[in-house]
Amino acid sequence: MEFSEHIRTANVENVVLRQPFHPSTKGTLCITGHHLIFSDRESQSCRQVLLLLRNIDAIEKSVENLLGNSGLLSSARWKERAPGPSSGTLTIKCKDLCVFQLDIPGMEQCLNIAHSIEALSSMNEVADMYPFFHRPHDASLQDQWGLSSPQHQYHQMEALQRGRWRLSYVNGDHTVCPSYPPTVLVPKAVSDEVLLKVARFRQAGRFPVVCYHHRKNGKVIMRSSQPLTGANRKRCQEDELLLQAVIDGSDKGYIIDTRSSQQAQQARMTAGGGVESKSSYPGWTRLHRQMEKGKSLQESLIKVVEACGDQTNNMDRWLSKLENSKWLYHVQTALSTAGLLAECVERDGHSVLVHGSEGTDCTLLISTLAQLIMDPACRTLEGFLTLLEREWVQGGHPFQQRCARSAHSHARLQQEAPVFLLLLDCAWQLWYQFPLALGFSEDLLLRLATEAYASDYGTFLCNSDRERCAIGVKEKTHCLFQALLKPEERELYSNPLYESTELAIWPSVHPQSLQLWRGFFLRWSQQGRHLEEAHDEMRNMICQWGRLAVR
Amino acid sequence: MDLLADVALLPGEERVTDKELIYICPFNGALKGKVFITNYRLFFKSTEAEALTLDVPLGVISRVEKMGGASSRGENSYGLDITCKDMRSLRFALKQEGHSRRDIFEILSKYAFPLSHSQPLFSYLSQEKYEENGWSIYKPLEEFRRQGLPNERWRITFINKNYELCDTYPTILAVPYRASEEDLRRVAAFRSRGRIPVLSWIQRDNQAAIARCSQPLVGMSGKRNKDDERYLELLRETNGTPKLTIFDARPSVNAVANKATGGGYEGDEYQNAELIFLDIHNIHVMRESLKKLRDIVYPTVEESHWLSSLESTHWLEHIKLVLAGAIRVADKVSGGKSVVLHCSDGWDRTAQLSSLAMLMLDSHYRTLRGFEVLIEKEWLSFGHKFASRIGHGDKNHADQDRSPIFVQFIDCVWQMTKQFPTAFEFNERLLATVLEHLYSCRFGTFLFNCESMRELNEVRSKTVSLWSYVHSSSTRYLNPFYTPESGRVLYPVASMRHLELWVSYYIRWNPRIRQQQQSPVEQRYKELLVLRDEYLRKLEELSPSPPSAHMTSPAPPGPAPTTQQFTHLHTPF
Repeated sequence: MEFSEHIRTANVENVVLRQPFHPSTKGTLCITGHHLIFSDRESQSCRQVLLLLRNIDAIEKSVENLLGNSGLLSSARWKERAPGPSSGTLTIKCKDLCVFQLDIPGMEQCLNIAHSIEALSSMNEVADMYPFFHRPHDASLQDQWGLSSPQHQYHQMEALQRGRWRLSYVNGDHTVCPSYPPTVLVPKAVSDEVLLKVARFRQAGRFPVVCYHHRKNGKVIMRSSQPLTGANRKRCQEDELLLQAVIDGSDKGYIIDTRSSQQAQQARMTAGGGVESKSSYPGWTRLHRQMEKGKSLQESLIKVVEACGDQTNNMDRWLSKLENSKWLYHVQTALSTAGLLAECVERDGHSVLVHGSEGTDCTLLISTLAQLIMDPACRTLEGFLTLLEREWVQGGHPFQQRCARSAHSHARLQQEAPVFLLLLDCAWQLWYQFPLALGFSEDLLLRLATEAYASDYGTFLCNSDRERCAIGVKEKTHCLFQALLKPEERELYSNPLYESTELAIWPSVHPQSLQLWRGFFLRWSQQGRHLEEAHDEMRNMICQWGRLAVR
Repeated sequence: MDLLADVALLPGEERVTDKELIYICPFNGALKGKVFITNYRLFFKSTEAEALTLDVPLGVISRVEKMGGASSRGENSYGLDITCKDMRSLRFALKQEGHSRRDIFEILSKYAFPLSHSQPLFSYLSQEKYEENGWSIYKPLEEFRRQGLPNERWRITFINKNYELCDTYPTILAVPYRASEEDLRRVAAFRSRGRIPVLSWIQRDNQAAIARCSQPLVGMSGKRNKDDERYLELLRETNGTPKLTIFDARPSVNAVANKATGGGYEGDEYQNAELIFLDIHNIHVMRESLKKLRDIVYPTVEESHWLSSLESTHWLEHIKLVLAGAIRVADKVSGGKSVVLHCSDGWDRTAQLSSLAMLMLDSHYRTLRGFEVLIEKEWLSFGHKFASRIGHGDKNHADQDRSPIFVQFIDCVWQMTKQFPTAFEFNERLLATVLEHLYSCRFGTFLFNCESMRELNEVRSKTVSLWSYVHSSSTRYLNPFYTPESGRVLYPVASMRHLELWVSYYIRWNPRIRQQQQSPVEQRYKELLVLRDEYLRKLEELSPSPPSAHMTSPAPPGPAPTTQQFTHLHTPF
């Protein structure tokens, strides 16, 4: 596909940019295949704005002088006056919640620009996306892609519990489970043949795999999708065997289902899904915790963003609006379910299997949060990024579908849902409640919140490992996580107050303890910017004091 | 079990009684234990596995009630209910035998409400000694001098040295140079309780001033007073402001209603003046609002509709209005315009507005010592009625004069520290400590309604100042990230979206909601303070000139140097 097809007007002079925190400036607007570029050559500052078109969520046009004079003027005189007074304003609303305006002279140019932005920002062909063109001077495509490897995790586990677990390459060509990576961790007692059968019994082939091994007691967190028991309560011996192998006979285990039991029953009756019944899985206790996902989560995001962006002075209903958005309720549910999971593993000392229906959303959300709560190794900057890569990227969260649109879009929702954003918000709540325990900074969470929706890097492209392999993401794009760990970035993304603790960090999940993530939702308000600066200043101070103390 | 081992008694603190009883803990259920009462505190320690202790200064007790009667059945239905002023209440169950409850009830009443029993407050019994005398933190003349006063437009008057002009004002006042003592007396006759407009703060470079007072006594008939009009004109002339802005903190309806009781507001007869109402509600509204907040946070926290319940208390909305009012004041003054503030009597909302505006305008008040001066000056010396608002040692818990106006001010300061984490030398702990001792009666600082009463009761010589205690370990109250920026005006955002409930204060009694990891964070901050000081020391060694402007030296000793970098004004003093 040619980008130029969509670009009728590539350059417009004398465009006025009105952006938060900056005086409005006049300059040149340029639309390329992937970017909106604004450069202001008039002033001394020579400000440049480079925005990924992919970051644009919605665009609103208001064209002035359209009808104002035309009805009264003869066409000849109209021509005389054109392109004189006609102009238009585009309001651009980004997925990172920034909103800005462009005043564009000439109605036609304005509409052309709007058309280009609309078309180019909603392109769906992954191979045409910017990460395939982004070539930073300080990185090479030969650089290592990604941080984690199942092999590494396996060796760590092997050192602690020899002979309990093994690496399986049954999914080597992604045919058993398209959304799993080629190598997965499973109980040693279970052969690949068994896994093949289990995969057929689980939705989309997501058979139970080990995602976390708790060093203190050797218990594990497994995750999967729902079993396909269906209306006539089908059983799968191999599936039962696999779970039995996890708890090793004597022990017992928990299954945390992220649906209510009614929802799970309904899935069984109508959609061929189901749950692990008590009789078929003795030793396993099922716990249901209903978590919202999909559409209702997306709608919640839209409402909270709307409340935050309400510029009217009538803010007396702010707290009600915030409550009605239910966003903080979702945060609470996620953290408390993750807390339950961590409690099962750390306090009760039992292994846990987590799933909902597909096991690609809430399942990943709570397994990630539980690991943050329990495992100090996940709380460092590298540890956290590795965790995200393992659970979300390799774990098969469909980023492309979920993050196609954000809160401003007028497009009809399809598969969008801010599950990853909810994870970042929950991580921020932990960070806020435990200012010393996490090695990464709020800036990292903010950066990830932006990158998940629009990025120069390939990390969040596609919906699964198979899709990424098919179009060569690892060969043709750069890895975000590697870039974030570069020495020059590290300071910004580290928490200067960090002090590693071996203890679990149990979050308080009472509504009184949860805060709106102002750093994200009110990021583009004056106050948000001001606080960001203050926090930068504080980080610099600590670094400065530390450096001199070392000297 | 020896309880004494657990309590470090204060010098002057004496044990009165102890008793076995059951504490009905709202979070852990009934706990057997022993209570120990001194002339200062109630201390409880459970004897059960749950090693819980309570350490309650008797001063925080607002009400003691008997619960259940001799015929009460049911477990733990007979005992005492103790309501506190600091958001909590305590319930103890006793055995129904002998006169055990009557004894403890009487002892508690006597020591919690000493004034109602003609007994002295604990601060008069305390023998605490501290190195620094907190009573000398605030010296009015020094503070005026710091502001560049007197000068050719403002003079210092001692007209009130015997509290004859106004018994609720301090003795030393700053007034327009051209107003004579006779003028002041005539103005006093037209202002409620003689609280004439006097200077609170002046901006050095443009001489814009904040003056505070009470409402004019206009009354139903719409009385005028030429002297008052002329006096405000003199005020305006001190810096040539074209229009003097009078901020009336009340909602306009209330200001009108006040005419019925002889009060009112400045009308059109005041030429060159504009009147702006700030819509801040009165002490009764604030009291009820905090009561509602208490109802949703103690003992059980409203969970299911937390945000809308919080909204229905209107507490944050009141905070917003107070802050927004102070911002308008600060904005006028930093724009070079002089302002006059009042409400009805000028000792509640006016104190909030003037002190908050001064905190925004003058970075000196954002230091530890400066903040203490601000409280001493705008709240204590100008007669915020602490005794009536808090009811120290007084059993009349339903007194309509009680109101959390000062708590609300501290909350506003907390909101500012959250929005400007590097602008304040002190930390949240200082604010919580101030509020703790607002009630405790351990120190004399917040006792009595005004300076004249404090003088009469020899507070300075017979009690210890809270600031003596604070300075005995001031590093606990310091913010390691403090970066002094003299001359910078802070404009907090008074929008609901940017205000937060001060959870770690209002919900601090709930162990499940208490802020996480409090002590490691404090420990880390302490280390950072050490690191910072080390850094500053090394920096000084490295460079012969003083350290770079944006770093501070910790806790500047003595009165801080002039904080504003403006051209030096000639000050004839």
